[in-house]
Amino acid sequence: MSQQANKYTRNHRVRPDGAAKVTGELKYLTDLKREHMLYGKIVRSAYPHANILSINTKDAEQLPGVEAVITYKDVPGLNGFGIVMPDQPVLCQDKVRYVGDAVAAVAAKSPEIAERAVKLIRVEYDPLPTLDSPEKALEVDAPLLHQKGNILHQASYQKGDVEKGFEKCIDIVEQTYHVPRQMHTYMETEGGVIVPEANGAITVLVGTQHGYKDRFQLSRILNIPEEKIRIVSSPIGGSFGGKDELNIQPYAAILALKTARPVKIHQTRKESVISGIKRHPMKITMKTGVDEHGKIIAHQVKIIADTGAYSTLGPAVLDFAVEHATGPYVIENVNTEGVSVFTNNGVSGEFRGFGGNQVAFALEGQIDRLAEKLQMDPIDFRRMNLRKRDDVGPLGHRIAKTNGASEVLEGIASLYQDKKTNQEPERWKKRGTGIAITMHGGGLGYGRLDPAGGRLSLNEDGKIEIAFGFEEFGQGILAVIEMIVTEELGVSADDLSIVIGDTSLVPPSGSTTASRGTSMVWHAVQRMKTHFTEEIIQSAAKQLNISQKHLRMGKGGIYSDQYHSKPLLTYKQLVKHTSSAIVTNTSFDFPTTPDEVDGGHFLYTFSGVMAQVEIDLLTGKVKVIDLDQVIAAGPVVNKIGYRGQIEGGGVMSLGYTLMEEAFMQEGKYITENLDSYLIPSIQDVPFALGVEAIESLDDGDVYGPRGVGEIGSVAVAPAITKAVHNAIGYWANKLPISSEEILNASGKRSVTSWMKVGQ
Amino acid sequence: MDESRTIDILTNKSTDRHILISFHMNGRMLELSVEPTMRLIDIIRGQLDLTGTKISCGIGRCGACSVMMDGHLVNACLVMAYQVDQSQITTIEGINTNNQLHTIQKAFLEEGGFQCGYCTPGMVMAVKALIYENSNPTEEEIKEALSGNLCRCTGYGGIIRSVQRAIKEGMNKN
Repeated sequence: MSQQANKYTRNHRVRPDGAAKVTGELKYLTDLKREHMLYGKIVRSAYPHANILSINTKDAEQLPGVEAVITYKDVPGLNGFGIVMPDQPVLCQDKVRYVGDAVAAVAAKSPEIAERAVKLIRVEYDPLPTLDSPEKALEVDAPLLHQKGNILHQASYQKGDVEKGFEKCIDIVEQTYHVPRQMHTYMETEGGVIVPEANGAITVLVGTQHGYKDRFQLSRILNIPEEKIRIVSSPIGGSFGGKDELNIQPYAAILALKTARPVKIHQTRKESVISGIKRHPMKITMKTGVDEHGKIIAHQVKIIADTGAYSTLGPAVLDFAVEHATGPYVIENVNTEGVSVFTNNGVSGEFRGFGGNQVAFALEGQIDRLAEKLQMDPIDFRRMNLRKRDDVGPLGHRIAKTNGASEVLEGIASLYQDKKTNQEPERWKKRGTGIAITMHGGGLGYGRLDPAGGRLSLNEDGKIEIAFGFEEFGQGILAVIEMIVTEELGVSADDLSIVIGDTSLVPPSGSTTASRGTSMVWHAVQRMKTHFTEEIIQSAAKQLNISQKHLRMGKGGIYSDQYHSKPLLTYKQLVKHTSSAIVTNTSFDFPTTPDEVDGGHFLYTFSGVMAQVEIDLLTGKVKVIDLDQVIAAGPVVNKIGYRGQIEGGGVMSLGYTLMEEAFMQEGKYITENLDSYLIPSIQDVPFALGVEAIESLDDGDVYGPRGVGEIGSVAVAPAITKAVHNAIGYWANKLPISSEEILNASGKRSVTSWMKVGQ
Repeated sequence: MDESRTIDILTNKSTDRHILISFHMNGRMLELSVEPTMRLIDIIRGQLDLTGTKISCGIGRCGACSVMMDGHLVNACLVMAYQVDQSQITTIEGINTNNQLHTIQKAFLEEGGFQCGYCTPGMVMAVKALIYENSNPTEEEIKEALSGNLCRCTGYGGIIRSVQRAIKEGMNKN
C-alpha cells in the first residue's frame, strides 16, 4: 500500500484485540457457556407462503430434557420486529411469508434434545401461491403479502426533462442489468446467550451492529422497560451489515424468561442461510444518452428491488440506490424511479454498500458501453462527464466539497497505463483489463435519526477510559479508537481503557454501520479532547500546586514543561486524590447536507478500481489476476485496517461478480451451505492486491477521516465485467458471470478477430 | 485439566451405546465415554470447552474447525469420535509454548492476517501444517495448502503477507 505516513499512521501498532484472536483465546458470544444453560432451537416455516392451520407442540413438550416450547402465544409484547417498521412476526400466528419465518422455538438441556424436539412439533399449513419474483408480486391479481399491498417503498429523482434530453442525443444505450441475492457469509453464524437476571431483567450476549437499537426492539417484544435490558454485543465474528437487524435474540430472550435459565442459540449454517437477510437482488434498466460532444445529457433509470417478505431496511436501501444512480457524473436530465417489492423470497436488507453496489454495476456498465459506441477511451469519456470539486451531490443537494472523483480516476488511469500491456499467456487464454469508479455516501442521510456520541473519563483504576456504543465485528474500530485517542491526547495505549459494545457501560453512538464508525470516533474525540485535557490539567495543577500553563498530558501521566523524562504525577496518582469525577461527554449528529433532501448524504468517499482477468476459453473460467483500488476517503487512521477493508471489500465483490448467488427456486433456497454457495477462497484471488489511499481533503474540510468499510466493495463488479469484455468482447449484464455464458459467448464469436475498443 | 479423566457426555440416550476413547489433546492424555459418531468438533468445543476451534459450515467446506490429527490437518466437523481413539490432537490452544506467541501467530498479528478473527485459529493451524511439511513453499503451494480455509474479511491479502512473513522469519521448528 503506497502512502505517506500521517500522524496516525507513523507509529506501527498491532490491534488491541489481535493477540486474543490469533491465539484463539478470545471468547466470541457464541463460545459462551453459563451454568444451567439451555440450548434453544427455532422452528422455521416449511413453506414460503402458507396459512397456518394449527401448531401442535405437545409431543415436543413431553420429550425429556425439553424445558420450554414457545409459539406466538408466548410473545409478551409486540409480536413483530424490524429496525424501521416492525412487520416481521417474532413467531407467526396465522401466516408464513418466507421459509425463514419462525413458528416455534424450544429450549432443552442439550443441542441434541433440542434438535429432536423441533422435529416433534407439528405445524399444519395450507399452502398459498408463491410470489417468487417482484414481477409476480406486482401482478394485479397477486395475493397481498401485507395489508397495504406488495409494494414496500417507491423512490424517485427527477432533474431536467429526460425525454427532451434523449431527443438531443446522438447515441443512446439501453440495457437491463440483473444482480443477485448475495449472502454476507460472516464466518460466525448468528448466536449467543441470553441470561435472565433478578427483577425480570435480562442480559443479551448476542452480536449486533447497534446495541441500543436491539434494546429498543427487545423492549417492545418482551414488554419490559429498556433499562432492564443489557445488550453485550462484541466481539462478533463478522457482520457486513447482516447482523444489524435482530436475528435469534427474541427467541432466546423469551425462552430465557420463560425458563428462568440462560439460553444459548447458535444457528447452523443452513439455519443462517434460510433465516438471514441478504443483499437485495435488483433488476435495473438504464437508458443513457450522449450529445455530439460526448457529454451524457440524459439518464433514465428504473430499479425493481426484491425485498423479500419483510421491510427491515428495504426502504433505505432503495433510497440509497436511487441517490447513487448517477454516481460521480453530472447529468443534465435525469429520471430515476425505484420500487421495492415484497415477495415470498428471503428477506433482503442491509449489506455493505447498501444498494450502491447494485447501481454502480449498472451505471458503470452504461458508461463503458457508451464509450465503446463512441469509440472513445473509457477514461477520457469518464473525465468529460465527471463531477468537479464544487458540484452539488447526486440529488442536487450541497455536499462537503471534494475533488475525490477526479483524484481516483486519475489515480486509476495511471495504474492502468502501467498494467494494460499484459501479455496473453497461452493460446487458450485471454486477458483483459477494465476500470470503474464510484462515489459513496457515508452516514444515514438527511432526515434520518443519525446521532453519535462518546465519553472520555478518568476511571477509578487511573485509566483514561474512552467509551463508545460501537461494536467490533472485525472492521478494527478498537484499533481506530486507540490510534485516534492516543494521538489526540498524547497518551500511550497502556494509559487507555477502551469500552465498547455493552449498553450498561457505553453512551449511545448510533449504529456501527454506513461507514460511520471511524468518522464518528474522530469527531467525538475532537469535541471532547480540549475540555477533557483542561479538566485533567486543572485537577493535576491543584494537586501539584503548579500553574496549569506549565503542565501537559503525556504518556503515563502529567508532565511539566521543565522536566520531561518522567511524569510528575501518574494518572493513577491523579485519580486517587481527585475529589470530583473527571468526565467529558459529547453527543452530536452525523454531518448531513443543509438542504432538505430526504436521504441525501454529505460526506462521500470515492474509489477507482482496475481489474485484470484471465479467461480460460476451454473452461469458461474467469480468473481475476489483478485487483487494484485507489481510494479517496481522507486521512488513513489505521494503515493495516484500511488496507484490509479495501482488499476484503474488493474480494467480497469479486465473489459477487463471479461466484456468489443465494439461489432460490419457488421461494426455497437451493444453496443451503458453503458447498453450493461459494465464496472466494485463496485460490480465487490475485496473490497481490493493490490499495492506494489518497488522503488529502479539500482545503477547509473539517470533517476528518471517513470510514472505509463499504467503499472497497462498490465498484469492483463493473471493473471485472469490463475486463471480461476487454478480453473476449462479451458484455455481461447479469451477475454472477457464469462459465457457461463465457463459453457460450466466446464460442459464438471468433474471439481472436475481436476488435478491442477503447482499451 | 487433569492428566487423565473421564467425562460422561450429557445425553438422554442409554450409555450402552457409548464407547470409551482415549487420545492425546494438546499433549495431555484424555479418556472419554462418548457416542461413537459424535463429531470431534463437539468434543472439542462442547465437552472440553476449548472454544479456540470454531464451527461455521459443519460440512468440511470452510476450515474454521481445522485441527491437527496425528500431524495432519483435518476438519473437526468431519471426524467422528471412534476415529479419534488413540490419536494425537492439537488445537490452536496447543501450539504456543510457554505462553509465547508462535511465529505464525506473531506474523498474523503484525501483517493484519485477520479481522473478525473467527477463521483465524483454523487458518493458523493450516499454515502450521503447511510449514511443518514445507518450510519454503511457493505461491502455488501456499494457495493449495490454504484453499480449504475460508476467510470472509481480509480478501486473503493480509493472510498471504502473514504467511510470507512467517516463512521469511525462518520458522521451521514444528
